[in-house]
Amino acid sequence: MVRDVSFGQYFPTKSVLHRLDPRGKILMFIAYIVIIFCTFNYVSLGITAAFTLAFLVLSKISPKFYFKSLKVILIIVILTSLLNLFYGSGEPLWQWWIFRITLNGIHRAVFVTVRIICLILASSCLTFTTSPTELTDAIERLMKPLKVVHFPVHEVAMMMSLALRFVPTLLEETDKIMQAQKARGADMESGNLIKRVKALVPILIPLFVSAFRRAYDVATAMECRCYRGGAGRTRMKQIHLSARDFIAFALTALMIGGVIVCNILLTATI
Amino acid sequence: MSFISIQDVCFSYDEDSAAPKAVDGVSLDINAGEFVTIIGHNGCGKSTLAKHLNAMLLPDSGMVVVDGDDTADENKTFDIRAKVGLVLQNPDNQLVAGIVEEDVAFGPENLGVAPDEIRRRVDKALKAVDMYEYREHAPYKLSGGQKQRVAIAGILAIQPQCIVLDEPTAMLDPSGREEVISTLLKLNRENAITVVLITHYMDEAVLADRVVVMDGGKVLTQGTPEEVFSQVELLKKHRLDVPQSAELAYRLRGCGLKIQDIPLTQDDCVALLEEALR
Amino acid sequence: MSCVLELKNLGFVYGKDTPFEKKAVDNVSLQIEAGEFIGVIGHTGSGKSTLMQMLNGLMRPTAGQVLLDGRDIWENPKKIREVRFRVGMVFQYPEYQLFEETVAKDIAFGPQNQGKQGEELNKAVQSAAAFTGLKPELLGKSPFDLSGGEKRRAAIAGVIAMNPEVLVLDEPTAGLDPMGREVLLSQIVRYHKERHNTILLVSHTMEDIARVADRIMVMNKGKLEMFAPTKEVFSRGAELERFGLKVPQITKIMQQLRQKGFSVPEGVLTVDEAFEALLPLLKKEGRLW
Repeated sequence: MVRDVSFGQYFPTKSVLHRLDPRGKILMFIAYIVIIFCTFNYVSLGITAAFTLAFLVLSKISPKFYFKSLKVILIIVILTSLLNLFYGSGEPLWQWWIFRITLNGIHRAVFVTVRIICLILASSCLTFTTSPTELTDAIERLMKPLKVVHFPVHEVAMMMSLALRFVPTLLEETDKIMQAQKARGADMESGNLIKRVKALVPILIPLFVSAFRRAYDVATAMECRCYRGGAGRTRMKQIHLSARDFIAFALTALMIGGVIVCNILLTATI
Repeated sequence: MSFISIQDVCFSYDEDSAAPKAVDGVSLDINAGEFVTIIGHNGCGKSTLAKHLNAMLLPDSGMVVVDGDDTADENKTFDIRAKVGLVLQNPDNQLVAGIVEEDVAFGPENLGVAPDEIRRRVDKALKAVDMYEYREHAPYKLSGGQKQRVAIAGILAIQPQCIVLDEPTAMLDPSGREEVISTLLKLNRENAITVVLITHYMDEAVLADRVVVMDGGKVLTQGTPEEVFSQVELLKKHRLDVPQSAELAYRLRGCGLKIQDIPLTQDDCVALLEEALR
Repeated sequence: MSCVLELKNLGFVYGKDTPFEKKAVDNVSLQIEAGEFIGVIGHTGSGKSTLMQMLNGLMRPTAGQVLLDGRDIWENPKKIREVRFRVGMVFQYPEYQLFEETVAKDIAFGPQNQGKQGEELNKAVQSAAAFTGLKPELLGKSPFDLSGGEKRRAAIAGVIAMNPEVLVLDEPTAGLDPMGREVLLSQIVRYHKERHNTILLVSHTMEDIARVADRIMVMNKGKLEMFAPTKEVFSRGAELERFGLKVPQITKIMQQLRQKGFSVPEGVLTVDEAFEALLPLLKKEGRLW
């Protein structure tokens, strides 16, 4: 069922990670994305994977939910790893028709799989341990300098936060609409691609209609609660950098340093 | 001096002046501390009227005065919305944040209240609706009644003197309805908050100090629940519900049974029949 | 009469074999005769929605069987769609399912999936619209331009148009005003009288159930606690209250009078019945003039 998706949820388990400054978390996450694509040998890949695992353990969230978010992208992982497996360069180890597997291909498949998995786990870890409001709050603050060039920082942050809030609601709604159309004999499981795409119409149209109606309602509700844009707004939850954050920064720096050193000292595998 | 004074308000969603008006010459006073219910069919203008009470809509003619301020005065819009909170029908669409307490904080944050004070207000509001233990939950995991109580807390955190609720129980199951109504009664009695409740349910309407019946954009009748529901004929003519006890008593009275006050509750009705049959 | 729907030890467990295992429906067995009007009541989370969704194969039971005309609906899972045409399901707030350009096309969605065409399709749409009281001039309009009550009718017509033998309605009157509730309910009753099919009506409004149902299913914590004629169910008010349910106000009033020793009948369900019962008693006392 659609509503089984755990990606983008927040779990208030009150771990060390929950108490980190969300701004710091976002910056570390960006650094992490960059560095994970700069792992060119198994040692550096191992370092980042170990680093990721450490964070998952620290989050005190059941591995079940991490598995759930992985399940969603399983197909993408398999496809990309297969693609990489068959399109490596060098001497073929095995060949059949247009498919040829090389040692380079195997390495590339392993790298791409581990990288995607790490990426998904890390982003799940970020959203699991940071409430949507904290997240958008942090983005708003990080982007504040952009206000100088008249970028609507507050509005963008508010839109993101509302979008995150309504993801589960809309998923639930999709599920309901699907059941209702199935009860009217809608066939979503059989037929060719065109037929299947057509079968989505009875689901997508009601979904859009309801999303617009909701948007209208939400706007009214926000105005009723004295919303008038970002000017003069305060926040209940203040965010401060503390010693904890600097330790996290230091650890991230250590990981980045480790990866860079490995890349310099060891030869690249891919 | 009444807290809200509605003076001959007309409003139409249509530019065309010949089209029927949504609200057509309504005058009504809401006193501080009162519990008022407004009943009537869909499209009778009660929701439109509700939106006039906190300056979400402005009258085409006539005026609405809230605590001495005209809602048409643009400088006062946010003062008025801080005094009169509006709760809508669908609880899902009123919760704007992903965490209960952050949602409740939304209102005071908009008003620029200091962080410590927001924290205090949020805790107080959540306790008032009995949702404090759920403060760190995600709204979509709550039941309908719980969501609606969080929505009420979100309004309470603005510290309004009056709460207007537009069919807050229409989408709830019986236990959710009960949760919301008992919360409202408590707020009205213990915190002296003025409540204007729009509803389809007669068992909710009878709990009020005053019932206002609307039809076709106009006020059809108003008075205490006893006064209003004893006009069974008028209500039936406009195809509005009456409590079953009132209907029974009304019909028996039609056959010649002497009844002074039409009973609105089960106990009153039993007492009345017991007396008659003895 | 013949049995149209039979449930045999039906069960449904969410998250089987996980720590979050939850029995939503627990060993429900019952038989429904063709042409019956069944009321279904139960607290939110009592399992009634899950039970209803198993009747037309939207959910597959984890235990037991659903027999439609004596045959297990999951006998051939590939043919489950046919079961959905025979057991029509109107969900709560069904108006969210509307999607077509016109009301007529939307109502036609179900029968079209059934394979109906041309005149036959047209007739199904027209008669379904008539049953729900949709005015013919609305059929050419966009469903999104209708009023709330009209949308609800259009959506219900979309299920009725499939001419199901069994029609399940989940809270069809939720959110409507008293007049809308009243009108829709009497249309459902009329539809039942004319088509003679089986109806299961899920509702929180006991007054409505009391007025229309022949028999009532009472669900609590996944179990079928009662399945008996309407009068009998409502005369067991104390038990119902234990399941978080309420009997209609009028039933309670008459019950209390009975307990106080007055000779009023048991299981009074409507104001009419109460009135008829009280009138002779009051006459005897000489209270009427």
